[in-house]
Amino acid sequence: MPEILLQDVRFAYPGGVEVYPEPGLSLSMGEGVTALVGENGAGKTTLTKLMIGLLRPRSGVVEVGGLDVGTVTVAAMAQTVGYSFQNPDDQLFERTVKAEVAFGPRVLKKRSEEIERGVAWALRACGLEGKEDVHPHDLGLSERKWVAIASALAGEPRVMVLDEPTLGQDYPSRQRLARLVEQLGLEGRTVLVVTHDMDFVGEACPTTVVLSHGTVMYAGPTSGAFEDRSMVKEAGLEPPHVTALGRSLGLAESVNEAGFLDAWKVQRS
Amino acid sequence: MAGGLSLYAEGTSLLHRAHPLTKGVVTLSAVALAFIAPSIGWVAALGIILLVLVALAGVLRRLLAVALAILLPITLLLLAVQGFANPNNRTVVFALGPIVYYREGLAIAALAAVRIACLVGATFLFSFTTRPADLSEALMQRGLSPRMGYVLQSALQIIPQTLDMAGRIQDAQRARGLETEGSLPRRARAYLPLMLPLVLSSLVATQERAMALEVRGFGLRVKRISRYEFVDSAAQRILRWVMALAVPGAIAARIAGWR
Amino acid sequence: MSELALVFDGVSYAYEEAPREAVSDISLSISSGEWIGVTGPTNAGKSTLCLLAMGLAPHFFGGRLKGSVLAFGRDSRTVPVIERSSEVGLLFQNPFTQISGARERVDDEVAFGPECHGLSRPEVDMRVEEAMRQVGITHLASRHPLDLSGGQLQRLALAALLAMQPKLLLLDEPTSQLDPAGTAAIFEVLAGLHARGVTIVMVEHRLETLCELCPRIVAMVAGRVLADGPPDDVFNHAAVQDRVGLPVFTRLARDADLPGPWPVRLADSTAAFESPIA
Repeated sequence: MPEILLQDVRFAYPGGVEVYPEPGLSLSMGEGVTALVGENGAGKTTLTKLMIGLLRPRSGVVEVGGLDVGTVTVAAMAQTVGYSFQNPDDQLFERTVKAEVAFGPRVLKKRSEEIERGVAWALRACGLEGKEDVHPHDLGLSERKWVAIASALAGEPRVMVLDEPTLGQDYPSRQRLARLVEQLGLEGRTVLVVTHDMDFVGEACPTTVVLSHGTVMYAGPTSGAFEDRSMVKEAGLEPPHVTALGRSLGLAESVNEAGFLDAWKVQRS
Repeated sequence: MAGGLSLYAEGTSLLHRAHPLTKGVVTLSAVALAFIAPSIGWVAALGIILLVLVALAGVLRRLLAVALAILLPITLLLLAVQGFANPNNRTVVFALGPIVYYREGLAIAALAAVRIACLVGATFLFSFTTRPADLSEALMQRGLSPRMGYVLQSALQIIPQTLDMAGRIQDAQRARGLETEGSLPRRARAYLPLMLPLVLSSLVATQERAMALEVRGFGLRVKRISRYEFVDSAAQRILRWVMALAVPGAIAARIAGWR
Repeated sequence: MSELALVFDGVSYAYEEAPREAVSDISLSISSGEWIGVTGPTNAGKSTLCLLAMGLAPHFFGGRLKGSVLAFGRDSRTVPVIERSSEVGLLFQNPFTQISGARERVDDEVAFGPECHGLSRPEVDMRVEEAMRQVGITHLASRHPLDLSGGQLQRLALAALLAMQPKLLLLDEPTSQLDPAGTAAIFEVLAGLHARGVTIVMVEHRLETLCELCPRIVAMVAGRVLADGPPDDVFNHAAVQDRVGLPVFTRLARDADLPGPWPVRLADSTAAFESPIA
């Protein structure tokens, strides 16, 4: 049973062109971590907004967690889907990090033990321990992004959408993010990461969906996502750095560092 | 949301090409004269002149849309209320059941309505034929400080930008589970989570913009030469003086007994 | 003789009411025409470095400045930012807030800076046309800035700076909001500027990109300069590896037990991995 299901979805912004050409977008995603990649304007953010009901499709079906998104309000969808927007400043308003993170589960009317538990876990997973009483606006942009992610996580949602979480993040932060999504995937949650960072995709996202001009060009294991070079080029993507190095050495295709090292050892022996 | 706030309608008429200051002075003067002129005949004559200009500018249909939306309801309201409630009412004209309408009240209402029509007509004519930034540009060329000019020009973009920001914030908070519709207590609870990010983001954006302006050299005391030349002429200058002087002139005439 | 574009001499700076210094004891010399990459973890002081170079710190932010920042020989304390703007340009991270907000057309927006400098009309027109061409937005000339996408806006902001023909360009994560195509477009423009002798100081997190583009890297941690030199030196420096990170290629070479010093670029990595002593 897919956690996220779109079937023949058609949508156009007012006064704009169709985002998803005939016959519409069809996509299904299950548990685990999936990367959604493609050029700006390919329809990635539109897709995530359709998933939570911020946008309504002209036709077609959008189901998340078994629920028809068209039948519930956006706020009600938040019980199922945690969404971390690209710009944290669109959300932050509380005076302390802890209050901001707690706002998520609070507004979802969780019980106080659930809130405590969710907040503690989210703060730890997002590297915000020790910063509970800091005013979010005293933190830099990259840390504020973590506060926004933590706030969505604290509600312990089944589905988690992260919109460009690696932008402006340093290496330790990207590693923490990789560990976080891996953990969420192992717990059986569905994680969708919208990103341009192909290295991150290769390291942390076992499944990849490639969107180009509103069409799904590839949906499957990340290990095979970059094999079709003309597709990759047309979608405006560049393969992960390890893939490029592996190709120049004539190794078996790899998309992450562990895979590269394995392929390298094989060639050596 | 497209561009800034603007009613501007593309065109090449005489009015479009006139100097922004000419249009500004004429508009203000026409509005003043409409309210100074003593009787409906004079005001109506002014109104007809404006109508001719509107047609010349090619924006007649747009103005009729405005007239329908704004002037019609106001006129009807004025007639309805003044017609029967004005304290000077004496002469009965007709009756709608128990409500009696008098000539004095109706006449006053009609005068007010025509004055308002001139006000609306003149200001919309100006807006239809003048790019928003052109007036502040023209004023700066005549000596308005660049800071004031900037305030005027950025005011036009601030509203759409703030509306965009408010929309994004509402989306983000709804996605967290905040209900923004429904009962009054529910909407009251949503107030802070919607307002505070807007205020904070606006303050931060203002600071960043101020820095960006400095980086471009805004505020240097040099003679600023504008890219846009507005065509002026002796005729327009004379027209501006005439229209400007017509206002105190009309006031003087009223005092002297103009009826 | 190469002019010194930017010199930091024992610079420490703390923002107004901040308990700690944002940067401490920074000494750097950047010659005209260099392309410097600045990197480091969050809160390393990289953005502050750009603000100091531009003069916004201390003029705009107040705060306490020790030491001196000289751009083209003139101390930032004595030169107001608006006067600096004819020589130095700063491109911020957020494309939406660095356009003036007072212009309704892209070409008028690009003209804003030169107009503030009182240049003649033909000069302004020429600079606007050239800046738009350099950045590739000539086809957007009549559009309203609010109608542009993030990537287009960032290019517009860059054009607006280039119209002032700065000798030193400071860029604070200029491509963080852009997709690969938009990013490549910006870097192409920068490469062109570098070829024409413009000094570039660029803050960037993507180490692989920095190593490809910048002949010199400054690695900062906690407000101090940890390392300053060619990428191959900087990323083979143990403290940098621990506290800043390494390009993917370097990490792979390390994890594959290749002999040091480890490569930092794709081409060098290919050679290193193919080498018989690997």
